Amino acid sequence: MNKAVERELLVPETPEEVWHSLAEPAWLGEDASIELEPAGEVQVGERSGFVEEAEEPSRLVFWWSAPDEEASRVELDLEETDDGTLVRVTESRPLEILTLRGRDLALELDLAGGQGPVASAAAGGAALVMG
Amino acid sequence: MPAADPADAVFNALADGTRRDLFALLGRRGEASATDLARELPVTRQAVQKHLGLLADAGLVAARRSGREVLYHPTPGPMSEALEWMAEVGHQWDDRLAALDRQLARGRTSA
Repeated sequence: MNKAVERELLVPETPEEVWHSLAEPAWLGEDASIELEPAGEVQVGERSGFVEEAEEPSRLVFWWSAPDEEASRVELDLEETDDGTLVRVTESRPLEILTLRGRDLALELDLAGGQGPVASAAAGGAALVMG
Repeated sequence: MPAADPADAVFNALADGTRRDLFALLGRRGEASATDLARELPVTRQAVQKHLGLLADAGLVAARRSGREVLYHPTPGPMSEALEWMAEVGHQWDDRLAALDRQLARGRTSA
């Protein structure tokens, strides 16, 4: 189970044109700014984060989080097609997958009479299997 | 959760875009009737009813009676928390990609 969300958009522009539009980040939300370079700042409203990867004009990866939220990872892939560009976005929470899955398992083990430390060890093992 | 593989039931239930929207909406509402939900989605009450049935089969929603109404709510638990996050984030990206498209379209007319 991979906790990720994927969406696509097809536009008639070239990947270069789309890339330049990404640099005008109003589309990301209000009060948005993003530096399209590795370790660049990402700020969208109360969310903040950083750019992990910026490969003009085909791939942008960044991490962001709102206060008191776990960080999630956003991948934007721009793929050239005959008609323009396919923009594919994937947002995932790699960190949270483990804790959620761990809680599932902890619950199951508790029902079976298991103890806390046993549950968390089992959850760690399951996380590896899932990875 | 039903028997067999609950993850399969959950993912089948959420494989459909309308059901994801429905589930996200119910998550924001907390509790609602099929009629209330149909008012906010571009589908009939009957379709909403059918989708709620599938979500209930997967253990994602539960129903209770309130007078003459049946009210649905998302069931708590890590699995539905995760799926609620997926539905919510999916919605946000629909909006952002629509905004990106509009942003690009401004250049289209002047080109």
